[in-house]
Amino acid sequence: MSPLDVARGYEPEAARSLAQSRWPLWLTLALRDLRTGLSGFAVFIGCIALGVMVITGVGALSDALRNGLATQGKLILGGDLAFVRPHARATTDERAALGKLGRVSESATLRSMARRLDGSDQTLAELKAVDGLYPLAGAVTLDSSAALASVISQPMAAAVEGPLLDRLSLNVGDTLKVGDSDIVIRARLMFEPDGLGDRASFGPRILVSMATLERTGLIQPGTLIRWRYAVDLPASVPQSRDSLKEIAAQLRADLPGAGFTVADRFEPSPQLTRTLERLRQFLTLIGLTSLIVGGVGVANAVSTFVDKRRKVIATMKSLGAPPHFVFRMFLTQILAVAGIGVAIGLAFGYMVPFVVDAAVGSSLPVRAEFAVTWNSVATAIAYGLLVALLFALWPLGRAERVSPTVLFRDEVSGDRTWPRAPVIAATAAVGVALVAFTILTTDRWDIALGFYGGLSILLLVFWGVGQIVPRFVRLLPRPRSPELAVALSSIAAPGGLSAAILLSLGLGLSLLVAVALTDRSMQEELSGRLPERSPTYYVLDIGKGEAAPLQSFIANRAPGALIETAPMLRGRLVALKGVPAESVKTAPDAQWVLYGDRGLTFSAAIPPGSTVVEGTWWDAVYTGEPLVSFEAGLARKLGLGVGDEVTVNVLGRNLTARIANLREIKWESLNLNFVLVFSPNALEAAPYKLLATVTLPQNASLESETALGRDLGKAFPTTTQVRVKEAIAQFNKILEKVLIAVRVAGGVTLLAGALVLAGALATAQRRRLKEAVILKALGVTNRRIMLAHMCEYAILATVAGVFAIVLGSLAAYIGLRVMDVPFVFSLTAVAQALGVAVALVALLGLLSTTLVLRTPAVPLLKSE
Amino acid sequence: MQNSHAYVASNTKLPLIASLTNVGLTLASRAGPVEILRSVSLDIEAGRSLAIVGPSGSGKTSLLMVLAGLEAVTRGRVIVAGADYSSMNESQRALLRAKDIGIVFQSFHLVPSMTATENVALPLQFANVAAADDLARGLLDDVGLGHRLRHYPSQLSGGEQQRVARARAVALNPRLLLADEPTGNLDGATGRQVIDMLFRLQLRNAATLVLVTHDEKLAAKADRVIRMADGRIVGDTAQDLPARDVTAADEPKRVSAASDAAQSR
Repeated sequence: MSPLDVARGYEPEAARSLAQSRWPLWLTLALRDLRTGLSGFAVFIGCIALGVMVITGVGALSDALRNGLATQGKLILGGDLAFVRPHARATTDERAALGKLGRVSESATLRSMARRLDGSDQTLAELKAVDGLYPLAGAVTLDSSAALASVISQPMAAAVEGPLLDRLSLNVGDTLKVGDSDIVIRARLMFEPDGLGDRASFGPRILVSMATLERTGLIQPGTLIRWRYAVDLPASVPQSRDSLKEIAAQLRADLPGAGFTVADRFEPSPQLTRTLERLRQFLTLIGLTSLIVGGVGVANAVSTFVDKRRKVIATMKSLGAPPHFVFRMFLTQILAVAGIGVAIGLAFGYMVPFVVDAAVGSSLPVRAEFAVTWNSVATAIAYGLLVALLFALWPLGRAERVSPTVLFRDEVSGDRTWPRAPVIAATAAVGVALVAFTILTTDRWDIALGFYGGLSILLLVFWGVGQIVPRFVRLLPRPRSPELAVALSSIAAPGGLSAAILLSLGLGLSLLVAVALTDRSMQEELSGRLPERSPTYYVLDIGKGEAAPLQSFIANRAPGALIETAPMLRGRLVALKGVPAESVKTAPDAQWVLYGDRGLTFSAAIPPGSTVVEGTWWDAVYTGEPLVSFEAGLARKLGLGVGDEVTVNVLGRNLTARIANLREIKWESLNLNFVLVFSPNALEAAPYKLLATVTLPQNASLESETALGRDLGKAFPTTTQVRVKEAIAQFNKILEKVLIAVRVAGGVTLLAGALVLAGALATAQRRRLKEAVILKALGVTNRRIMLAHMCEYAILATVAGVFAIVLGSLAAYIGLRVMDVPFVFSLTAVAQALGVAVALVALLGLLSTTLVLRTPAVPLLKSE
Repeated sequence: MQNSHAYVASNTKLPLIASLTNVGLTLASRAGPVEILRSVSLDIEAGRSLAIVGPSGSGKTSLLMVLAGLEAVTRGRVIVAGADYSSMNESQRALLRAKDIGIVFQSFHLVPSMTATENVALPLQFANVAAADDLARGLLDDVGLGHRLRHYPSQLSGGEQQRVARARAVALNPRLLLADEPTGNLDGATGRQVIDMLFRLQLRNAATLVLVTHDEKLAAKADRVIRMADGRIVGDTAQDLPARDVTAADEPKRVSAASDAAQSR
């Protein structure tokens, strides 16, 4: 029963209970009206549920992974706390300070080439040396039942991961060469408990004892070794996160300048936590996109809902309904419906961790452990309700402005009234709240703002197109073709139906273009077009004395090849302008520079590929205070300029240098590029190794490339050769995963767009039905009616499509810039995407027209 | 009705515009099949007016829809303007409707997305009449709506919508004009105007007017009155009206100009 029936007193029983109800009349009526069913709200509920599902799912999955990290934290970290530093092993004093905390296990990790004894094959591996206490938590699993200690305590013995054995076709019992040394493979390494926390992903693992590592001669001044000290605190020490942080802070204070990076078991992999957080924020924005696109569906549904109730509203007003009664009643209904959508979205969203775990659980970095956090639930609910309100308030506000005079007219439309000022203010407030909520829950407010800016432009442009196109069509002369005339008048008609279709269609097509172009650009990137004259090999860990022999070796072995070398150390930025790095406020996209280690170098001359844009380069024989050259873009984002001081921790001591100049770097060149380049006097006395790029002539064959690497490995066994093509392939594997994520996310957003469009078309269907029946009565054949409908769809789709190509390309361009992938415009990709979309819309239109034409005309024509 | 006498078809020398023989219409409903029309036979002469009266649910409007070819009969034979509906498909019936039949509905049924002019011009355009807009404007001027040309139906009063509907129905000078309760939604004075205009149109265009109404006074203006009850014709009387010369219309025929234009193309 509708409120109209109630208002007219058709149902005496209901009227009695209404009078007796203890609830306010508007609430009772609102709930009673909802009891008649939610059929008109299917699209509304679907739109909200879809967006909320994505946001909930993302939050739930991230919670589950974090929970997994936290509960397995001690195992992943290999203790309660871990202190890590590159290059420099802990000094006796430092060991003593660490030892006071609890049991300490020392390990050293470095990359190295592993070769077959005959030198016929080699691969990059990650060598890890451990002491007798390792591991402090959990246990290492080998292919035999032997204990790790008994296996690797034998001289020059190692436990090696399966992929390495397979790669070099070796077996347990064989010997392999690491650096200059022969190492016997005593066991196959099956599981390393702290593998996640202590891994740089250089390659498969070779696990040896500290004594073995020392005997290989790989520990040399300047060799990049990650020294790690895992600490197991005694049970007597308080184990809360805060007390762990306190202990870490105290140790740092006791050892000023030690430069350790600290992780605790509550967050065993800050890197992974950061990645997860980034991913959560990025995917939440995707969920928000589908939610906001769905918002258009909400607005359409609410408009249709109140349009159908114009007479109810007028009746209530003519019966003396108090001010805001209608608004309150409908707002209650809308909120109730939005609540249903949110509930469905939450329920499905919480299934996501289980689905993901079941589908790809084994390839996840951590075991997902289901968790419900107040934070994720509240975020999803807040987004669902805010978006529903944002898009529903306006049409509701217009509805309450309906004049009682509509009762005396057949149908009123086209008179677009504005809502009351408080409703407009409330809409604005909800919009501000939505943006503020996103900015407060992300650390990349720049991306969040850009996201809202972009979506607003998209919505505004297509809203504008929806307003202008009908007005423009009204100005056109009447076409001779009656089908075209029917189509045009349908587009020009008052009532805003074509505006709703244009907005929905435009949004959907723009998303489609954006997804298609993003996909194409990423595929293009994946197809691996290398820059012209990009290096063939990176050669790492070159000793100071090896640089000259290496150059002459290359000159003999591969005439025509270019070789470029640079000193290379690793260090961490610890202070900018005297402010500790932890307290430095930076632009969000520059924060990465302050996390972890950076490669550092020094040079007497401006490095190739760089241009000084501010300040001056130092003299070749400069001897004053240490100077540094900073990459210009990052310096700007970090608020640094020429003359400012930066402090880096290198080899366990702090080095402060003044910025002498800013450089711009051509990153694309794949040459040797460093953010920080010091004046030679600052670092040349330090133990360091060199890094080299070897570039073969462009016509070099694949065989000569492989052979060069093999020969380099034989001649300089302690250096590491990374083939650029392999490194790029490695990077592409990550990009491939991102591409899958982009496809899934794009698919969900497109689904929202399709849902909105279906809703708009369904609304148009009602009018179309009436129109078609009248045309039939006028003697118009079905074929011509269908043709008229096709004309209308074709015109709308063309207009929306043209704008969608422009806006969708722009969206893809911006999105790709955030992901650092070059934008590629492909007319083919756009044409394919739009072709499929237009075919689908035409099919949908054809289907709807067929349904319209099948509907018997007589019942609709007979007097009401 | 003292001036009326039983109607006998053979009395007339006029040709028939429509002929129904033993027409039955049965529709399915949730409560089982419902017989809307039961064995209706009726000949309608060209150029005369006919009123169908009867209580609600007697089948008046259904009979009109059958004549329009919008409702397919279950049994019997329907011939309109020399064409047998049973041997025609939907498109052919639509074309016949466009050429020979004009309908005026109780709720007007204007296309809501079109202005008054566009509504009237539409059938002219479908019939490939040149200058459809000019003709439409003239037709609207004739019904006194020259000042409402660019208004949408929602911006017109009920009487005005009725007049647009009427102008649209006669735009192509149909031989058969069907009107379903043409005064139903209008007040008394407006209703009388409408009826007078319909009869004038019928005379002027030498068309046949079939009128469904529940208003006895209105029905009395027609040449012939059919009375229906429960899906059957239960009365058929011819009014004793002065004979009229339908071939010599006293007014110039604006609408036939449209037809001429169509033929000259």
